[in-house]
Amino acid sequence: MPRIVREADIVWEGTTARGSGVVTAFSSGAFALPITIASRVGEPEGKTSPEELLAAAHAACFVTSLGSELARGGTPPERLRVRCTITMDEVEGVGHRIVSSAISARGVVPGCDPAAFAQAAEAADAGCPFSALIRASAAVTVEATLDTEGGGGADG
Amino acid sequence: MADRTARVTWQGSLLEGRGTIESVGSGAFGPLEVTWSSRAEEPEGRTSPEELIAAAHAACFSMALSHGLAQAGTPAERLETSATVTFVPGTGITRVALRVRGSVPGLDPAAFAQAAEAAKAGCPVSKALAAVPEITLDAALA
Repeated sequence: MPRIVREADIVWEGTTARGSGVVTAFSSGAFALPITIASRVGEPEGKTSPEELLAAAHAACFVTSLGSELARGGTPPERLRVRCTITMDEVEGVGHRIVSSAISARGVVPGCDPAAFAQAAEAADAGCPFSALIRASAAVTVEATLDTEGGGGADG
Repeated sequence: MADRTARVTWQGSLLEGRGTIESVGSGAFGPLEVTWSSRAEEPEGRTSPEELIAAAHAACFSMALSHGLAQAGTPAERLETSATVTFVPGTGITRVALRVRGSVPGLDPAAFAQAAEAAKAGCPVSKALAAVPEITLDAALA
């Protein structure tokens, strides 16, 4: 199998408490984003954080796994929506740890019933390399709901 | 406790369809397009889960190192870090390579290397990625 390599860079200036960094997608050039410690552990105030970047990575990885599972089952999705929430907590004696990644998936999938959709979501979780990685050190949960065709539904 | 959320949509098949990182809780980025071909072949301006993981790890490591150096009484003026993630389809993420160059007044190279090792071991993203077979570190003073 070919190896896929992706790189990102950050330049950090000043102390952790008062300094700030800019994180850049080096391979694609798709983003360059400011980061501070205050916005990481407190209110984001418009700034991203390592945990938010992980949430985006997990959601993007999971959605492709789910799409493949559904296609393999003969019911390719019309539209899938995945939300991922990463939680970092202060664990006594250990410090800050990423404790969970919660996935919520919704889909418009012609010909698929709720049970088959739930099963595909389970298989997607098993097949998503990022789920496997995070599960080694944190809780990964998956919730799947089938939307009615053309229906929007709220994803919170 | 800090919760951070991202929302992604996907339309169409894996190979020909496309996804969008619609929004993130902070509002800092999105929409960003993702496709299978830009993930597995040339990025062509599109990000991917692996690039986002690289960004998360580089940022987390830099914060931990900055914090460690400040705690030791030798705060950094500037840290430049890159993270390179290697992904093998069917296998998963096989390697993360961290590289850091630091401007740290009053610090010798050995102490910098030691602080960098501690940051690599202790940062929350390193711990979350502990199952990656190989995480390497190249640390030197600028």
